[in-house]
Amino acid sequence: MLSPGSSVEGTLELPGAICSIKNTLDPIENTIEQVSDDRFGAVVTFIGTTRNSFQGKVVTKLEYQAYTKLALKTMATIITEARNQTAEFQAVVQHKIGVVGVGEPSIVIAVSSPHRKEAFHTCEFILEEVKRKVQIWKREYYEGEDERQAEWKSNV
Amino acid sequence: MSSTSTSTAHITVLYFAAASTTLGITEEKIPIPEKGFDLSQLKDLLVERHSRDNPTLRKILDSSQWSVDAEMVGDDEDLTKVELGDGVEVAVICPVSGG
Repeated sequence: MLSPGSSVEGTLELPGAICSIKNTLDPIENTIEQVSDDRFGAVVTFIGTTRNSFQGKVVTKLEYQAYTKLALKTMATIITEARNQTAEFQAVVQHKIGVVGVGEPSIVIAVSSPHRKEAFHTCEFILEEVKRKVQIWKREYYEGEDERQAEWKSNV
Repeated sequence: MSSTSTSTAHITVLYFAAASTTLGITEEKIPIPEKGFDLSQLKDLLVERHSRDNPTLRKILDSSQWSVDAEMVGDDEDLTKVELGDGVEVAVICPVSGG
């Protein structure tokens, strides 16, 4: 399994948001704690996990790589765009790199905001933009297939 | 293309995902002319350098975006106008699949 030297852990902090690429995701309780704010009445979390099948094939695991320095910059841009839509929120976005087994989380997003509508919207916005733009790639491995033939997926 | 063996200018090209799996490498350092070398020429150079053993490389590069020093090159940008100088880090950005 080739591992790019640029696919490493990293964190980028901006006002009211922390974006990270990690080998091990934080427990969700910690992430909720990070965004919690007594001024805010809503906390929304999203956890993306590896499904056990794709088009009838049994998935054994996923593998993620990132161009970390650029991926973090792109995440920061997404946060800034979210902030143009909703002034008040705190967000934590974490993406795992390396192997993610079936049922395991690959991405966690937690958003807190004064009210629920903005919290839901911001969380979804961040998720959709991460999937569309962030420089992270997923490789899917199927049961009974040669690992060397495993395909890199595309979100488009 | 004239010999660049005496060139002191180099760039680093980073490969991820399908590009790195196809080539079997994740990065390489490439000598380039000190002046007037652009991203379009780099693309041709990489195809020339690797296509014999990796015939799918051209197709992969055609469907990929590029970044230069961790800034994306826009889809509408003319690659011949993206100049590459000594020390620059170029990455082949295959269609992403995060989340």
